[in-house]
Amino acid sequence: MAKPTDIIKKKRAEAVSRIIGKGYLSSKRVYVGMATCEIAAGSKEVMEVFKNAVTKGGLTDVYLSQKGCAGRCNLEPTVEVIEVGKNPVRYGKINPEKAQQIIDKHLKKGEVIKEWVID
Amino acid sequence: MSKKYIITICDGTGCIQKDNAAIRKILEQQLKEHNLTNDVRVNLSGCLGMCDKGPIVVINPGYTIYGNVTTNDIPEIVEEHIVKGKPLARLAIQEDHLYNRFFRIFGDAKFFGKQMRIALRNCGIIDPENIDDYLSLRGYEALAKVLTDMTPKQVIEEVKLSGLRGRGGAGFPTGVKWQITARAGSPNSPRSASDEKYVICNADEGDPGAFMDRSAIEGDPHTVLEGMIIGGYAIGAKQGIVYIRAEYPLAVRRLEKAIADAREHGFLGKNILGSDFSFDIDIRLGAGAFVCGEETALIRSIEGGRGMPRPRPPYPSVEGLFGKPTLINNVETWANIPVVILDSGKWFSTVGTERSKGTKVFALAGMVVNTGLIEVPMGTTLREIIYDIGGGIPNNKEFKAVQTGGPSGGCLPAKYLDTPVDYESLAKAGSIMGSGGMIVIDHDSCMVDIAKYFLEFTQNESCGKCTPCREGTKRMLDILIKITEGKGEMYDIENLERLGNMIKKASLCGLGQSAPNPVLSTILNFREEYEEHVKDKKCRAGVCKQLLTYEITDKCVGCGACKKVCPVVAITGTTKAKHIIDQNKCIKCGACFSKCKFDAIIKK
Ligand SMILES: Cc1cc2nc3c(=O)[nH]c(=O)nc-3n(C[C@H](O)[C@H](O)[C@H](O)COP(=O)(O)O)c2cc1C
Ligand code: SF4
Ligand code: FES
Repeated sequence: MAKPTDIIKKKRAEAVSRIIGKGYLSSKRVYVGMATCEIAAGSKEVMEVFKNAVTKGGLTDVYLSQKGCAGRCNLEPTVEVIEVGKNPVRYGKINPEKAQQIIDKHLKKGEVIKEWVID
Repeated sequence: MSKKYIITICDGTGCIQKDNAAIRKILEQQLKEHNLTNDVRVNLSGCLGMCDKGPIVVINPGYTIYGNVTTNDIPEIVEEHIVKGKPLARLAIQEDHLYNRFFRIFGDAKFFGKQMRIALRNCGIIDPENIDDYLSLRGYEALAKVLTDMTPKQVIEEVKLSGLRGRGGAGFPTGVKWQITARAGSPNSPRSASDEKYVICNADEGDPGAFMDRSAIEGDPHTVLEGMIIGGYAIGAKQGIVYIRAEYPLAVRRLEKAIADAREHGFLGKNILGSDFSFDIDIRLGAGAFVCGEETALIRSIEGGRGMPRPRPPYPSVEGLFGKPTLINNVETWANIPVVILDSGKWFSTVGTERSKGTKVFALAGMVVNTGLIEVPMGTTLREIIYDIGGGIPNNKEFKAVQTGGPSGGCLPAKYLDTPVDYESLAKAGSIMGSGGMIVIDHDSCMVDIAKYFLEFTQNESCGKCTPCREGTKRMLDILIKITEGKGEMYDIENLERLGNMIKKASLCGLGQSAPNPVLSTILNFREEYEEHVKDKKCRAGVCKQLLTYEITDKCVGCGACKKVCPVVAITGTTKAKHIIDQNKCIKCGACFSKCKFDAIIKK
């Protein structure tokens, strides 16, 4: 019978291919913080904006996902954009309007909005 | 070639210095030559925390890390790994450790610089509701390893070797607790000869302002479950319970989903991963009483009784839930377990200080620029936490004190800023590690008022079982209120000390035993502030309302705005002439102070 370590290896490979199947290799990945603290700060609304853009707004080649709290409570909600060939960009204190601008400027035109970047 | 790859080049300061730009150039050339640009993506990352081995190149899927990469190595990497799918053993470094995973994304941010993430390693990185994310980062591999290669005894030895101590407050050595629980109930142990045992995760988190456990569960619920399953295997239990407060609905929802997903994958339930070990986990909701975080009260509450502590021994390890041996650990303690197993207890014991190993999560709050959740190696100083990670006090104000350990802890003044955070050093300085609350206080806060705030909390939360705690905290609170209202006498301070020490000695559980700490430590370190309240009837921070006087100065232009807002008509004066406040009528509400446009009213 297969050993637990073999089973887990297989499961891990399957998990990785499922993640890739969901578009992980897209040229852009966007992560929205979704913990109680982030949601209280308004991250649900921010997530909605990104979701809409991906499903209806013609934003293609973007992998959208949520993540837990990284600890930057005073800067929430946070949004992270990881792009091929570029350094990851983290935005802090994002609201729905700012989210829309991230979509229009950063994701569509590749212009990082420097004022909102967390260092 | 059918597989697709992501190649991540580290672009942190360390690797930039070692000319990662050249590597990138050659890599992109090579990919073009092999016609791979559509199948392979090149990403950059922040510092990966391995600068000494830089430049670093990571290839995913697989998380193969190449270190000390030179431009000459690139053609070989592309040819072997990407084209032929065979990772290059020659350059690969064995750094598939679990800790500090956040470096891949956050490493370059100053806020994270002095941090080290073990318990929170996946928080803020993975989607907590997707078990695939957890699996892809070696999730449940520790469990598989334990089931394949380790006996329960070996697991316990590994945890003992790590030096891990309980993160729920008391800091009891985790491995020892596991060993006692594993041995309890065996035929040669006098008590409870049955083989039934339980594992409990304490997620009650009752300290005001604490949110470490909530964030840990919300950010990465599976690591807590994995820790518990390993614990169950080590002590021989079949059932685990997470006791979590109902006020944490999102954490509860994510836990429920995580448990369901884990069952579906066969990490929970009968014959886990095809082994003969079976284990399951349920959730019990607590109503949010502080005392229910105390282990015996918590157990009582799960059994359906009123959450009241009982005397120990017997400890839960010997006689716990339904009288059976029970292993109870804190959320953060559990979250460390998979790392102890995969990165080894020996590695774990290299982090931290002589007697406090690993890291500690703190909820940094109060007067610091960067409030938030942090995880630092034990032994990091308070100064590093507050100034380097926390970014110092806002508006360049001066540091006054730091409160650690919540309502059971104490306040430390500036002279203790270089104290390393570990169980012993904090206790020696007069506070405690506690579960991880850390509140920074500046000169706008009154220490007597802060002591009063915490005592109000514990006094309210006392379960009432024993008199010193129930009555004693009430009397202490009465005295504190008297002092903040300017009615205190010098003997009140001594009475507080006497009462406090008595309550500490005579109370049954940790709540009563630690309730006086905020008061006693502020008297010890800020006695002059207490004396000012009593002797001079002054509160230097201007917080204790009853001790304030509002006065109108010569700046007054006689506009009459203050007169209109005063709710008790204490202000008199004719238009265009200086107004006066009748101190006997004044209720110190401050309405006039905030109304005056000419800064003519002062607070003393
Ligand atoms: C009043 C009181 C409240 C407590 N609250 C908690 C709590 O919220 N979470 C927790 O893990 N431990 C809490 N404890 C400590 C537990 O009794 C117990 O020591 C702990 O859960 C053991 O786990 P550990 O060894 O992993 O720290 C509390 C203790 C007392 C006296
Ligand atoms: S010390 Fe306080 S909280 Fe603890 S058992 Fe006694 S009365 Fe209850
Ligand atoms: S800069 Fe690359 S590992 Fe630190």
